[in-house]
Amino acid sequence: MKAAPFAYVRPGTTADVVAELSRDGSKVIAGGQSLVPVLAMRLGRPTQLVDINAVPELRQLARDDGSLRVGATVRQRQLQREEIGAAVPLVRLALPWVGHREIRSRGTVCGSIAHADPSAELPAVAACLEATMVLTGGRGTRQVAAADFFTGALSTVIEPDELLSEVIFPVAKPGDGFGFGEFARRHGDFALAGVAVRVRTSGESVDARLTCFGVSDVPVSVDVSPHLRSALQMTGPQPSRADLVSALAEHTEEVAEDVVSTGGDSHASPAYRRRLISALAAREVSRAYVSARLSRPEERS
Amino acid sequence: MNLPQTHARTEADRAVEVNLSINGSDVALALPARVTLSDALRDHLGLTGTHVGCEHGICGMCTVLVDGEAARACLLFAVQLDGAEITTVEGLGKPDQLHPLQESFGRHHGLQCGFCTPGFLMSSYDLLTHEPEVQREDLPTELSGVLCRCTGYRNIVDAVDEVAQAHRGALPGPANCGQRTLVGRTTATAATSAAVGAERTDEEELVERPQEIVLPAGDPTIHVDVTSQLTSAPDEVARVFGDVRLLARCLPGAELTDDLGADWYRGRARIALGPMRMAFNGIAHIEEQSDERIVMKGQGKDTGGGGAQARIVMTAAAADDGGTVLQAEADVFLTGRIAGFGRSLAGDVSRRMFQEFARAVDRAASGEEPTTDAQPPRAFSLLVATIVDRARQRLRRLTSRGESRR
Repeated sequence: MKAAPFAYVRPGTTADVVAELSRDGSKVIAGGQSLVPVLAMRLGRPTQLVDINAVPELRQLARDDGSLRVGATVRQRQLQREEIGAAVPLVRLALPWVGHREIRSRGTVCGSIAHADPSAELPAVAACLEATMVLTGGRGTRQVAAADFFTGALSTVIEPDELLSEVIFPVAKPGDGFGFGEFARRHGDFALAGVAVRVRTSGESVDARLTCFGVSDVPVSVDVSPHLRSALQMTGPQPSRADLVSALAEHTEEVAEDVVSTGGDSHASPAYRRRLISALAAREVSRAYVSARLSRPEERS
Repeated sequence: MNLPQTHARTEADRAVEVNLSINGSDVALALPARVTLSDALRDHLGLTGTHVGCEHGICGMCTVLVDGEAARACLLFAVQLDGAEITTVEGLGKPDQLHPLQESFGRHHGLQCGFCTPGFLMSSYDLLTHEPEVQREDLPTELSGVLCRCTGYRNIVDAVDEVAQAHRGALPGPANCGQRTLVGRTTATAATSAAVGAERTDEEELVERPQEIVLPAGDPTIHVDVTSQLTSAPDEVARVFGDVRLLARCLPGAELTDDLGADWYRGRARIALGPMRMAFNGIAHIEEQSDERIVMKGQGKDTGGGGAQARIVMTAAAADDGGTVLQAEADVFLTGRIAGFGRSLAGDVSRRMFQEFARAVDRAASGEEPTTDAQPPRAFSLLVATIVDRARQRLRRLTSRGESRR
């Protein structure tokens, strides 16, 4: 379990990082919490690691114009702890599920998204929130929407000589509510199935977006607004969470049917994953709706 | 977290320099980039308290603190941690002054085989410093980053919960951090920063004479204070004190090889303990020498990569019966494999050596050949003597008639 030898470089600017990435067989390392196990098991043997931790601008964690910009070396635990992270509640809900404290101390938000493990939490969060990925390469910078970013298991549109330099998350507005849940054999393991939910309420209108992970090679997002609206017709606009869960459960089975495209493995059959998605979706859409209503100024009085 | 310095590209077969602070000691290492922090700690710095289990980030055995936050040492390349402060289980407490978490793990029997214990201690230290209000029901989840395969979780949770309740928001920090010399299986200089090469060198090398022998800060590994009654008269003992070569021959296993002038000497010492054989090449400086007092400092390197530094003060005083009371006080700092030998037994062995030394001085003072045995002190007899000594002490305590120890 020792990594194969590799050349090592630690540039001080993004431009130098990109220049180093143009060498064949180069790979970015930030926190290394996904990459080092891959190297230890020799599933990957990059010829050069480009350590981006000495680049000051990649550490930025800042809020502007309704978005939170998370730089490439911002640690998961940092986002969990710092006040500014509260601007994106769904990330805060998801982070406790990412590995363990010991992993989140070093693991980065961008690194997890760039690694694009189909069972990982943060790619699903990025997909659910329709976050924007900023890719920096030799030909300049481009922005990619989450919907176009993930191309398959552990695969993204990042070119070999590009760096995911930051992820831009939209900041939650009044009337937004979120839910996150997953099921794993042990806490900290990759999930058998999980969901991230964003509900938006404004006046009388209600929208709900469900993103499922662990059930396909990429996070799968579904507009579940019709399902939420018809459940609310059964319960009325101010349901208790338990009532809304029951009402939603009528619809989520059908949603789960469509999103689970993975084959079975030794941990769970596709049918079991569908049941997990159905139950988690009913629970978390309901949680998100209730918290969305509570986040509206008029509901707080 | 500090921003690391930039580092130029280093080819795969070359070593990368990295500066770390480990348990308060500044360390400069040159390592291949693929060496993990856990291997650097264990193999290159001799800090084997950090255990290695799965080596791919699952089991949590190797948990250490990096800039105050728990992280898995097997998932970090050491070269990535330039400028970082690392705290390992060795830094948490001292053998005679354990950290409250260590005390509590002992009290609650929070360990069986002990393999996971360093990981649990560092993980729970991180938890209680960052989330002091953590509640008992959250502990199983919060501690899930470390696995115990002896099914000891209940006791571990009890141990951590007790400390959490006793020290809400005020958990004592690591108590065993300070500047000291860290040496693993690779060479290191004995001064304040240990420059450790990537490759081990087993060749005997002469220790350079430094300007001054600087002892590490902090507590010594062993403190010895032995008082012996000699039958020789003070003026006879003074004759031995005045003759460094004679004095050296009184020390079991020691040999003076070179007089460097100005009270600096080069020498060798061979010690055998059980299966261990150590040969020290060292250098000594006599700082003070009179008829009744000698103060010296020495430092040596064991060919196996360990190191020792010591300050020794010997005083001779007239006794009522016409003989001499010889007192030897020594602060010994050990690094490398001998440091791992166990402070208690190593201390006993040192004490025995000083007692043998005192007898030899007595013989030398009365004109005899100081050591009848030209061999190094034989391990077996030294160990047996040490163990017999301990048994006697215990027996004395048991019968509670024992005179106070001299």
